[in-house]
Amino acid sequence: MDLLVTWLPAFLVGARNTLIYCGISFPLALLLGLALAEMKSARYVWLSMPAKIFIEAFRNTPIITQIFLVYYGVGGVLAASNLAHFDNAWVAGVACLALNYAAYEAEVFRAGFLSVKRGQREAAYSLGLSAWQAFWRVVFPQAVPLMLPAFVNDLIYMLKDSAIVAVISGSELTSALLIATFRNPGHALPLFSLALALYLAMSLPISFVARYFERRLRAAF
Amino acid sequence: MQKMVTRDEPLVSRRSTVRRWLQRVDILFYALLATAVGAFAYYLYFYLTTPLIHGLNGNAAMALYLPFLLQHAGLTILISLVSMVLATLLGFAGAQGRLTSFLPARWLTTIYVEVVRGTPVLVQLLFWYFGVAQFFFSLGFDPYNALFNLMTILQSNGVVAGLDQNVVDAFFWGAIGLGFNYGAYLTEVFRSGLQSVDSGQHEAALSLGLNSRQAMRRIILPQALRLTLPPFTNYFITLIQDSALLSVLGFVELEQEIGALAYPQHNTPIKLFIFILGALFYFVICFSLALLARFFESRFAKAYRV
Repeated sequence: MDLLVTWLPAFLVGARNTLIYCGISFPLALLLGLALAEMKSARYVWLSMPAKIFIEAFRNTPIITQIFLVYYGVGGVLAASNLAHFDNAWVAGVACLALNYAAYEAEVFRAGFLSVKRGQREAAYSLGLSAWQAFWRVVFPQAVPLMLPAFVNDLIYMLKDSAIVAVISGSELTSALLIATFRNPGHALPLFSLALALYLAMSLPISFVARYFERRLRAAF
Repeated sequence: MQKMVTRDEPLVSRRSTVRRWLQRVDILFYALLATAVGAFAYYLYFYLTTPLIHGLNGNAAMALYLPFLLQHAGLTILISLVSMVLATLLGFAGAQGRLTSFLPARWLTTIYVEVVRGTPVLVQLLFWYFGVAQFFFSLGFDPYNALFNLMTILQSNGVVAGLDQNVVDAFFWGAIGLGFNYGAYLTEVFRSGLQSVDSGQHEAALSLGLNSRQAMRRIILPQALRLTLPPFTNYFITLIQDSALLSVLGFVELEQEIGALAYPQHNTPIKLFIFILGALFYFVICFSLALLARFFESRFAKAYRV
């Protein structure tokens, strides 16, 4: 118990940093994902092919490999070319989480836009709206409620995947846990329980939100 | 809930012939892409290695990287298969537990699923390796010794004696950790699969004189399989990706080997290149499985299209 009281502040700082990682990476992933989704469903091959390659590349490699690649591989190249101030765990962690999740969000966006009936867009065209207006005023607002549960679920996944930033000592909850475990060998169980409880305390409220959106969606249709 | 359509059709009817052709040969496109990426990697690999073999900086070992990576990719696949079997067993048990009318079993499986799905897999793996393993070790249980004793009984402990103790321990606890984690996800997959079969099917089977077990095995499971196979394959892909986390436990699989080859490099482009080469190995494994999952999806969607 004494041990937990000693380490609780460090764990809480770690939990806050976990939330900061997600809070920065998730909006970035959404923006990039929207761009990728639009690129992938474009008519021009030179637009859709890079998006396809990006999505497949990031969805089919482990995030830990990407983090090592960015932190040690790209970071090394940056350091060699006198850009070393970009070489830190926050930048690498946020970049990897954002890029990785952008690939997943792109698929969510694409499925969401496709599930809006084609007639809606055709009707918008026939009313004289431009492609831009038809997208932002007709298709997008109808697709958002369909996509919300998937986004919230992905946010939970990102919250859990942000633990992987600990392998490059990203100073979030799992890093705090690792430091605590190495300083107190033989007391792993209580420390791990505390960390797991903190993760549950962060992810369960979000999953309730996800379920709320899902229920509302089911009620609407 | 409105169904998410994944039809890939442009909304405007001005479709170019090239585009239509590209849509039709989507699989071919990806196969070509994979080949191109592989060929590029091959080219880059030899471009980078050839001068070094005859060079003076002693980096001739570069030419040996590919076999090492291949060997450890095999280990990654091996531990993924073992954990997937474990996860499938746990998932079946969990799905039965969630659907049973026996309340404590339902609570237990619900807690299992919620706790496992609410916490990061990395923390769970560390928990198994540093928490549970240490606890069992203090009780006198050690996977390596257990395996050694088992093989002694089977008159062939020479197989085990050549292995490193840490590797066996990390393999054992890593496989249990991954299997435990994915068991929770597969519980949900199997549960929704079993629930998606209309209850009339079960009743009809019973009224035809099949007993409950026959009805499950011959009527419910084959129909549930149609819905569970695509997510099952997708979870297998994520399991292979998550097995990279075992490198944190010191299990020398593909990710650990990439690091072991890359970190000593002082030439930063070569270092980056080794990381990319390793990522390509994961890409090849996971992407071929992703294509399989997509095939299952289209195949099973076709079966029920009226």
